Amino acid sequence: MGDTLVRRLLRWLVYLLASLLGVGAFLYPFFAREAGAEAVGAAASPVFLTVLGGLSLVALLLETQGEATADAKRIALLGVLIGLNAALSFLETALPGPGGFSPVFFLIILGGYVFGHRSGFLLGSLTLFVSALITGGVGPWLPYRMLVAGWIGMTAPFVGLLVRRLRAQARPAEIVILAAFGGLWGLAFGALMNLWFWPFATGAADQHWQVGLGLRETAQRYLAFYVTTSLVWDLARAVGTAAMLVVFGRPTLRTLWRFQRRFEFQVIATVDGAVTGDDAASVAEVHA
Amino acid sequence: MHPLAWFAWVVVASLSALLTRNPLYLVLLFGIALLALEAVSAAPRAGQLAGTERRGRATPVSPVRFALFAIPAGAVFNAALSHFGETVLFRMPQGWPLLGGPITVEALVFGAVNGLVLSTLFAAFAVLNVAVPVRDLIGYLPRAFYPVAVVAAIAVTFVPSTQQQVRQVREAQAVRGHRMRGLRDWLPLFMPVLIGGLERALQLAEAMTARGFAGRRANDAGSAPAGSSTAQVGTIGGLGCVLVGSVLRLMPRWSAWSTPLLVGGVALVGWAIWRTGRGVHHTRYRQHVWALRDSIVVVGAVVALVSWVLWPASRAYAPYPRVAWPGFDVRVGFGLMALILPAVIPAPQEEAHADDRV
Repeated sequence: MGDTLVRRLLRWLVYLLASLLGVGAFLYPFFAREAGAEAVGAAASPVFLTVLGGLSLVALLLETQGEATADAKRIALLGVLIGLNAALSFLETALPGPGGFSPVFFLIILGGYVFGHRSGFLLGSLTLFVSALITGGVGPWLPYRMLVAGWIGMTAPFVGLLVRRLRAQARPAEIVILAAFGGLWGLAFGALMNLWFWPFATGAADQHWQVGLGLRETAQRYLAFYVTTSLVWDLARAVGTAAMLVVFGRPTLRTLWRFQRRFEFQVIATVDGAVTGDDAASVAEVHA
Repeated sequence: MHPLAWFAWVVVASLSALLTRNPLYLVLLFGIALLALEAVSAAPRAGQLAGTERRGRATPVSPVRFALFAIPAGAVFNAALSHFGETVLFRMPQGWPLLGGPITVEALVFGAVNGLVLSTLFAAFAVLNVAVPVRDLIGYLPRAFYPVAVVAAIAVTFVPSTQQQVRQVREAQAVRGHRMRGLRDWLPLFMPVLIGGLERALQLAEAMTARGFAGRRANDAGSAPAGSSTAQVGTIGGLGCVLVGSVLRLMPRWSAWSTPLLVGGVALVGWAIWRTGRGVHHTRYRQHVWALRDSIVVVGAVVALVSWVLWPASRAYAPYPRVAWPGFDVRVGFGLMALILPAVIPAPQEEAHADDRV
C-alpha cells in the first residue's frame, strides 16, 4: 500500500538514528567519563540529555503515528487498549504490588507482538503518557519512560520472528519465549531508568568513580552498583511481567488475534468503468 | 490561568532547578513551588468537564513527602558510594566493594543537594499537573502529533469507563461465586474487560466513520500523506546532525563544531514537525482567554531567567573538597521571587466563567 522501497528505507533510517540517539542519551554519562573527567558535569547535564531523549521520542512518534493510525478502526483500537492499560496502571498506584512490579508491560508486549512494531511503539509510549496524565506524573522523566516503554512494544514483533522460525505458533514454547522476553525487558527498563537518574547522582566533582577509570571498569562498577541497589526492585517487575505472560498470555493472545482479524478487515471499494463510486449498486456489491 | 502561561512558568522553574546546585536557591525554588501548588489546589477549577478530570488529578505523592524521602536517601546514597572530601566522619572497612573508604560530610551534602534538585523538579511539575487540566495538556500538543493526540484523548476518556467495567465484572463474577485466591483468579476478571473493551473499540470506530472521521484525508487515502517524505528526510538530517554533534562534543579538538550541529539538528527536526503539522487544522472549543494575569506571570518567568544570565556567579556550588556555606546573590534571589507571581496574584472574579466563552 504505497510502501515503496525508498519509503521503507527512509523509515528504517529514522528508526535507526532515533534509537541510536536514544541509547546514546542513556549511555552518554559513561562516554562523557571516558572522554575526560573535568567536563563531565557540563557535558552530561540533565537538560542536554533530556533534549536528546526527547528528540529521539519525537522522531519515533512522528514516524510511527502515520501508519498505526491510518483509519478510524486502528485509532479506536489503540485508544481503547491504551485506556485499558492506563486503568491497569491506575490500579498499580492504588494498591502497590511488590517492588517495581507494574502490570502495564504485559499488554504492551502482547499488543506489539500481535499488531506490529508501530502500534507496539505507540501502545507503549502512550500508555505511560496517559497514565502520567491521569495520575499527575508529568515531568522531565516522562520522555525517557515513554521512549523505553515504546521500545518494549516496538521490539515485541522480533519475538514473532523467533517463534515462526522455531514453528512454535500456538504452542507452549511461544508463551515461554514471550515470558522470557518480558522478564528481560522488566530488568532492562529498571536499568535504563536508573541511567536517567545518573546525571543527578553524578556531578561536577565526578565523585562516583576514580578519575580516569576506563569505560569497561565504569560499566562493571555500574553493574555492581545496580546489583546491590536496584536488582531486587527490578526483579519484582521482571518476574511479575513474566508470570502475567505465563498465566494470562494464551487466552489474551487468542482474543487479540481474533480481534486483529476483525480490525484489519478493510472494505476497499474499487471503481471500474461500469460502476461509479457512489452508485447504490456498488455499495450493495461491497456489502454482499 | 492560561495553560501557555503555566508552561512558561514550569519551563523556567525546572530549568532553574536543573541549572543550579546552590542549595539556597533550590530551597527558595522549592518553597515557591509549594506555595504555587497550594494556590492552585485551592483555586476553583473553571470550565472543567465533570467527573473524569477531577478524579485522580491530585498528585499522588505530595512534594514535601517526596523531599523527605529523596533528600536523606540522596545523602546516604552518595555518602556511601563516594569517598571524596576532607571532612571525614568515619571510615568503612577498606575491603568492602564500593562502600569501603571514608564517609565524608562533603559527600553527604552533595547527595542531599541532588535530592533537593529532584524534589524541586517534582514540586514544579506537581504544580503543572494540578493547574492544567488533562484536555489542555493533550490539546497543546503540536499539530503534527494530531493522531497521537486523538488516541490519547480516546484513552483518557476510556479510563474511567474501564474502571467502571472492572467493577461491574467483579460484581457479576462475585454473584456467580467467584473468589479471588491467586493470580489465576484474575483471569475471569481480566478477559471480559479486555473483550468488552475491544468490542467497544469496534463500535467507536463505526461511530467515528459514520461521523466522517478518517485517519487520513480522503484525497490521499491509500498512499502516504503528501510531503511526508520531505519531512522524513528533514527528521533524518536533524537526527544525524544531533548525533554527530553530541559525539563531537566529547572530543576536545572538535568540540567547537558541536554546538552549531546540535542547534541545526534540533531546528531541522522542528522544521519537520512544523511541516508535518502544516496540513492539520483544528478548531478550539471553549478557548482560554489570555488575561493580564497571564502576561504578568510570563514576565515574572522571564525576569527569573534573565537574573540567572546576568549574575551567574553564585549559580554553581560544589561542597568539594571542603564543605563551605554557599554564596547567595540577593539580585538572583529577587529574580527568582518573580516566580511566585502565580501564587499571589488574586484570580479575577469573572475568570470562573472565562472558559465558557466560545
